[in-house]
Amino acid sequence: MLSAHSLLWHYLWVAPNLLLLILALILWRRRAHRDFFAFFVFAIIGSLEQLTLYACDVIPSVSATTFWNVLWTGLLIEALLKFILIDALFGRIFGPHPPIARLGKILIRSVAVLLVLAASLLAAFSRVSNPHWIVAGPHLLEQTIYLIESGLLLFVFVFSAYFKLRSERVALGICLGLAVSACVHLATWAFSVNNGSPQVSVYLDFLNMATYHVCVLLWFYFLLLPHKVATKSAVSVPEHNLEVWNREMERLLHS
Amino acid sequence: MTLAIVLVIAAVVALVAILSLTVSRALQLSSDARLAPQIQPIDVEAFRNLVDPAEDEYLRRRLPASEFRSVRRQRLLATAAYVKAVGRNAAFLIRIGQSAMQSSDAHTVEAARQLVNEGLLLRRNAAFALLKIYTVWAWPSSVQSAVSILHGYEQMSGSAMLLGRLQNPAVPVRI
Repeated sequence: MLSAHSLLWHYLWVAPNLLLLILALILWRRRAHRDFFAFFVFAIIGSLEQLTLYACDVIPSVSATTFWNVLWTGLLIEALLKFILIDALFGRIFGPHPPIARLGKILIRSVAVLLVLAASLLAAFSRVSNPHWIVAGPHLLEQTIYLIESGLLLFVFVFSAYFKLRSERVALGICLGLAVSACVHLATWAFSVNNGSPQVSVYLDFLNMATYHVCVLLWFYFLLLPHKVATKSAVSVPEHNLEVWNREMERLLHS
Repeated sequence: MTLAIVLVIAAVVALVAILSLTVSRALQLSSDARLAPQIQPIDVEAFRNLVDPAEDEYLRRRLPASEFRSVRRQRLLATAAYVKAVGRNAAFLIRIGQSAMQSSDAHTVEAARQLVNEGLLLRRNAAFALLKIYTVWAWPSSVQSAVSILHGYEQMSGSAMLLGRLQNPAVPVRI
């Protein structure tokens, strides 16, 4: 069951991408795609790219070289889309708060530069998993992309938690799905790149595909399920001592 | 293999951190109504005294250099404790403000937005101030100022009062 080209393997490769495509279509039909345009584009292009790759894998007439070339191209496009999506999410979460929006931009850019440097160094010192560069290259590229993606998403979560910002539910859901997927993929690719065993690689592929499936379901949950709408202010006014405090403030302000 | 282990550990730590932050935020949402009593009253006068450059200058003139450094370090630690308390209060007020932003009353929403933004500014400044305080603690002969924190706190207190008045005009607010 846990072998390449088993029924489960086919399901885990195809189903999440079909579901993601369906999610994009639902968003489009509900006219919600304008609100989350970067995610909408990521969902369509990302899923089509994966389905194309699946087709290349199962169609016997497609050569191995073509498959790896498609994989390379797809990876680069997917990476670009993910970084655009993270940028859009960052703007959506912190943009409405001018006091921290600029600081956040400066910090996330600095974090991105550090992550690119770290990822490049790690890629340079990682073991080459295959003698053929066309095969080993994507592995290293995936490790690099997931390292940068995980770091950026971790920064988004930590920065927003430090300022106690309550993120919009959909933005939080998209970030969570991306983060879970990126962290698991980072761990598995790092292990896979540095461990040559083909059987282990197959198991890790299953773990990656299953995680991605869970993430797609998370996106369904956060994007399509209605959330509770507060009809009135949920917070009661704090206990009072306004007059004393006002006197104190006046005295301090005019001293 | 060492690199792989480092990356796997980093990925697991990041995943655990992200999941725990998500869960803790979800739990926070249910406890927003109990935030107000957690706000710690702050003695603004004592804080103002601690950050007064004239006080530092007076001590510098009166005390021997080594004793001044020791006294200043103690004053800096006390200032840091105040700044941490101000930062915590700002965090509570940000959460209260965000809850109040769901109100149907436009004035309350505007006051809440102002409170949230001033809270964010204060929390940011508090973080920078702490950084500065600990830097000065390591080099106590330098000149340090936390006056902007005090000003920020005063401004934010005003916003919280306005929000309190709008939400319930009959009840005054303590922050």
